[in-house]
Amino acid sequence: MQVFVFLTRRLIFAIILMLGVSAAIFFLINAIGNPIELMMAETPGMTGEVIERMKSYYGLDQPPLTRYLLWLGRLLHLDFGTSIVYNQPVGSLILTWGWQTLKIQVPAILIALAIAILFGVTAARRQHSRSDFAVMGTALLGQSLPAFFLGILLIFVFSYTLDWLPSYGAYSTRNPLGGSPTLDALWHMVLPVAMLTFFNTATLTLLMRSNMVDVLKSDFIAAMRASGIPERRVIYVHALRAAFIPMLTYLGLLIGLMLGTAPVTESVFTWPGLGSLYVAAIHQLDYPVIMGASAVIAFMLICTTLLTDVIYVLIDPRISLE
Amino acid sequence: MAETAIAPVPEPRQRTSRKPLLSVDGLVKSYPLNRRGLFRQKVTGEIRAVNDISFSLDEGETLSIVGESGCGKTTAARSILHLVPPSSGTIRLGDTDVCATFSRDRRPEVLALRRQMQYVFQDPYLSLNPRWSVRQILSEPLRVHGLVPPAQWDGAVEALLERVGLPAEHADRYPHEFSGGQRQRIGIARALAVEPRLLICDEPVSSLDVSVRAQILNLLAELQEELKLSYLYISHDLSSVRFLSNRIAVMYLGNLVEIGEVDEIFARPGHHYTAALISAIPVPDPARQKPRDAISGEIPSVVKRPSGCVFHTRCPAALPICSRQVPPLAAPDGAHAFACHNPR
Repeated sequence: MQVFVFLTRRLIFAIILMLGVSAAIFFLINAIGNPIELMMAETPGMTGEVIERMKSYYGLDQPPLTRYLLWLGRLLHLDFGTSIVYNQPVGSLILTWGWQTLKIQVPAILIALAIAILFGVTAARRQHSRSDFAVMGTALLGQSLPAFFLGILLIFVFSYTLDWLPSYGAYSTRNPLGGSPTLDALWHMVLPVAMLTFFNTATLTLLMRSNMVDVLKSDFIAAMRASGIPERRVIYVHALRAAFIPMLTYLGLLIGLMLGTAPVTESVFTWPGLGSLYVAAIHQLDYPVIMGASAVIAFMLICTTLLTDVIYVLIDPRISLE
Repeated sequence: MAETAIAPVPEPRQRTSRKPLLSVDGLVKSYPLNRRGLFRQKVTGEIRAVNDISFSLDEGETLSIVGESGCGKTTAARSILHLVPPSSGTIRLGDTDVCATFSRDRRPEVLALRRQMQYVFQDPYLSLNPRWSVRQILSEPLRVHGLVPPAQWDGAVEALLERVGLPAEHADRYPHEFSGGQRQRIGIARALAVEPRLLICDEPVSSLDVSVRAQILNLLAELQEELKLSYLYISHDLSSVRFLSNRIAVMYLGNLVEIGEVDEIFARPGHHYTAALISAIPVPDPARQKPRDAISGEIPSVVKRPSGCVFHTRCPAALPICSRQVPPLAAPDGAHAFACHNPR
């Protein structure tokens, strides 16, 4: 019952937040200007009649509030409108391009998590040792390097100099690697995934290490050792479980922001993902795409935050549901 | 030290037997003192947290280790349990060489040893995993040691709870739902789960309310009677020490400065530090205020230990020899041993 009340409250809050975000997206983009007038500037031959017809075709002759409510209503039916540039439904565009983004982001988060647990725990067990300093130094470097810089460095070394890996795109236009499209796709994924993994790993490792250092110092871990629980089990089951809880917040944020951070990576590697779609839409003022993609990114973030809260309550009995 | 100046205490507890259960010989725990250079660390010295202490504990007996914070009593206790590996010295539990067993690291031997000695922690808030229910906390040692088949864990957990005076229905609660005294009872139940012979209690009541302390001390006394336990009781609270112990060992700056029967030490402390500790016990009667043998100055740094007798910098009766020569731990009258050149 208590859980139900908690979930309902959180859900209501998430819905209010989503409404606010959608209004912000709509009115901010609306404030940029009327896309038809901007198109007109590029195509001088347009007559008044054509302009009026285009305005009514895209529903731009209505007052902003009406248009917002119409957009919101269609959004609830997962109808994001039609792209001005591609003349395709925005929903299917987001799905196709979004899939490409997930293809590099999800593996990067999973690999980063595995590395962070391994190195974070090792460093924490040997606090102040050389391996601890090596891990921390690398992680700090990862946190402070600008993302695009490492991307360019990777391209320079592995594509330009060594010519081992492709520098752009998600697949070869002709002659896929080894004649296999799957292998070819994986081959193209290596560099973008490597770059994303490096950045995700940095913060995750530092978090893992500091949480683990605290947990390993606590008396309940000493109590487990004193009761004869094997050291491996103490570290990798009990201490890890306790140290992992604060990581969930960051992990939730990472998953939620997956689409939001995509533009940088995808620009560096010319990856045909949601980030590239988003950046192109901004340049071309393809406002249905900008609004649809923004709404999806916000929705993802709100959902993962909600999910993180729920997981927290499920795994930590101390967190009150009040 | 007048006997009447001390709060009334129960009759001294009789030792049940004289078979040594735990014997500690020349225990040292030191930590390297590092100075970090540009590229590497340099070991510039060491901190001796525990400096060559020896004592033994008989079956069914309570030996208390007393001393100020930082005197090394907790480190000594944790070294015995190998929670921090000792630097040197030998520890024997019954017929087992503790250090050798841990360094051989053979699982059945280590488990058998761990089973015999258990630890009760100072802070019951920190020593219980906050995300585990009491049932999980108490069944984990049963699982690790395989003492009871899994089907009987629930029954064993409930029996343990009742043994320490908690209702069996509370097994599915979490530590944060209990008071400090109740949590300490859970900590004791966890230690008892493996049926140990020796319980090392590290200030088990110092983080509790005064009103609850007596309950926990009584519980410990009852359990000792029932289960024939031996206690190594670590405390800076001399009134609780007097209630619970047969013998007292006084530590100062990592050294053992006095050891002997509890009444002997309270009546005739040999070391000036012991005398100062005893005179600092608060008297619960304002009409019977007593003068205190206050010691002046601060505890010296463990990094720069005083030469000779470690206490000479604060001792009211220090002689020139005290700063030059380490006094041996000796028992001049055979009753109890202390390390002092100029005893009281």
